[in-house]
Amino acid sequence: MKLYEIVVKDIMRRKRRVLYAALGVVIGTMTVVGILTIASAGETKIYRQLEQYGPNLTVIPAINNLDMKLGNLSMGTLTVGENYIPQEQLVKIRQIADSSIRQALNITDEGDIATIAPKLYENTNVNGVSLVVVGVDAQQERIVKTWWELSKGKYIEETDEALVGAIAADLLKLNVGDTIALNGSSIKVSGILKETGSADDYQIFIALATVQSAFNKAGMISSLDIRALCNACPVEMIADSINKNIPGVRAIAVKQIAKSEMGLVEKMNNLMLALAGITLAVGLFGVINTMMASVHERIKDIGIMRAVGASRKQIIRIFIYEAVFIGILGGIIGYLFGTALAYIIGPLIFEGTTIYIVPQYFPLALILSIVVAVAATIYPAIHASEIRVADSFRSI
Amino acid sequence: MLEVSNATKIYGEGPTRVVALDNVSLTVEDGNFIAIMGPSGSGKSTLLNIIGGLDYLTSGEVILDGKRIDGYDENALVGIRRGKIAYVFQQYHLLPSLTALENVLLPLIFAGDGSNEKDAVNILKGVGLEKRADHKPSQLSGGEQQRVAIARAIVNRPNLILADEPTGNMDQKTGNEILELFKRLNEEGRSIVMVTHSPDIAAHAKEIITLQDGRITGRIQRDKKKVTS
Repeated sequence: MKLYEIVVKDIMRRKRRVLYAALGVVIGTMTVVGILTIASAGETKIYRQLEQYGPNLTVIPAINNLDMKLGNLSMGTLTVGENYIPQEQLVKIRQIADSSIRQALNITDEGDIATIAPKLYENTNVNGVSLVVVGVDAQQERIVKTWWELSKGKYIEETDEALVGAIAADLLKLNVGDTIALNGSSIKVSGILKETGSADDYQIFIALATVQSAFNKAGMISSLDIRALCNACPVEMIADSINKNIPGVRAIAVKQIAKSEMGLVEKMNNLMLALAGITLAVGLFGVINTMMASVHERIKDIGIMRAVGASRKQIIRIFIYEAVFIGILGGIIGYLFGTALAYIIGPLIFEGTTIYIVPQYFPLALILSIVVAVAATIYPAIHASEIRVADSFRSI
Repeated sequence: MLEVSNATKIYGEGPTRVVALDNVSLTVEDGNFIAIMGPSGSGKSTLLNIIGGLDYLTSGEVILDGKRIDGYDENALVGIRRGKIAYVFQQYHLLPSLTALENVLLPLIFAGDGSNEKDAVNILKGVGLEKRADHKPSQLSGGEQQRVAIARAIVNRPNLILADEPTGNMDQKTGNEILELFKRLNEEGRSIVMVTHSPDIAAHAKEIITLQDGRITGRIQRDKKKVTS
């Protein structure tokens, strides 16, 4: 039999007192877990909104306009470099993007991670109207353009299908099922987009390969959008790496538009955590009180243990073991109550937010409440260890 | 061997000053069985507490096996309580949350020998309580609780057992059974100092010391051979 087993048996005898001590820990832990859970739900919501702003990165051909001068005589400008990105660079760009994300997230997944949407823009005439035809990878484009919604029809699936922007459809009087002529090939309109307020409204989207062959631009891309799958992805790093390693292209990280919004949320979280800290401190004093009462209640037991050979350190250890037990109990209850609290209060703070259980907060809750319970027990435990045998029996 | 010389204990100061022990000297030879008698307030419990390091002297000395132990701090006394001196109390003082066996194991646990359950079982058997090993103190009679307390006192094999009115809460029959247990422990070689009210109980001791107002007023040695050896 070990010392801690004595403690466990004693706890079983004084269940109510121990539960009462644990409640002091529960209040603080519950508040911390509740606030963190609500905050993480709020952040998720904001990130989701941020994601809808579009790609994280845009890659365009690196074009330099050089002034040609001979002495003071200007000889016009010379455009250096290509207007297109060779399609084979796509593989390299994907490698750089995916490996940066893997490194940042510390994962070893082998599959594609980032969404890479190549585009080929061509000015052309359709039914006598001048507009831009965009060759796209239909699937990837759809992931990047999260805001796209169809007003009619369906997305492109075949190489001879087209998705038409709202205004373009209006101008050309196109409807689902109509055909348009594209440099000789005939393309069927499969769907029409709702108005987006962007350049997309004026464009017609057709499979990349179809556009490439129609305009004799096999293997060429005008630009590409990259969307990393995560909020924490190192967008700037990926851009740097692409710029360094792939000649002829320029990668631009799209600024996180709502950074200030996140800043506000963080400030609010800090305020709430400060409040939780105060609750934790109040709980700490509650536990100190309960433990002191528990010491007085057990003066006789402590005297008995001293009389049969317990050292001061062993008496302190007995109380610390009890504190650890109280901490574990308080941590479990605090986590459960905190999550429940988030479910009730969360939707009131961030409107329409769904609260998810965050399992990572469970170990946090445990550690937090054990630390609080042990800290609160140190003084009462030392006090208990100073009780002398004769005094303890006299006090009865 | 334990010697108390010129022990004086004074509680309080000024008008509330009480002299609990007044220049008391006493020797507990190895293997002796001393009964301390006297009316309430005569200082007999104080004397027992002084011997066992439960209370501090105002002046005088307590010497155990050639070492002065009065003035030992609580940490130093731990060493004495683990195997040299053990206590048996009138109120038994068992831990209510532990079974009889666990209470007997307690001194071994504190001494770092908590896995030695066999010793505890044997000793519990020795006091006739092997069938009650898994009972809590609240499920035991007074006599049984005192047997558990005695088993707990001897599990660390102390040379000296200090007992403060160990039969005070019992009827005569149970008291006699407990007394027999003490006599057996004494025959096995342990020294015993027992405070008691009862002349019947004291009559079984080898030496009887009577106290009054903190002074020794009488010494009776029943077994001269043993004491003078």
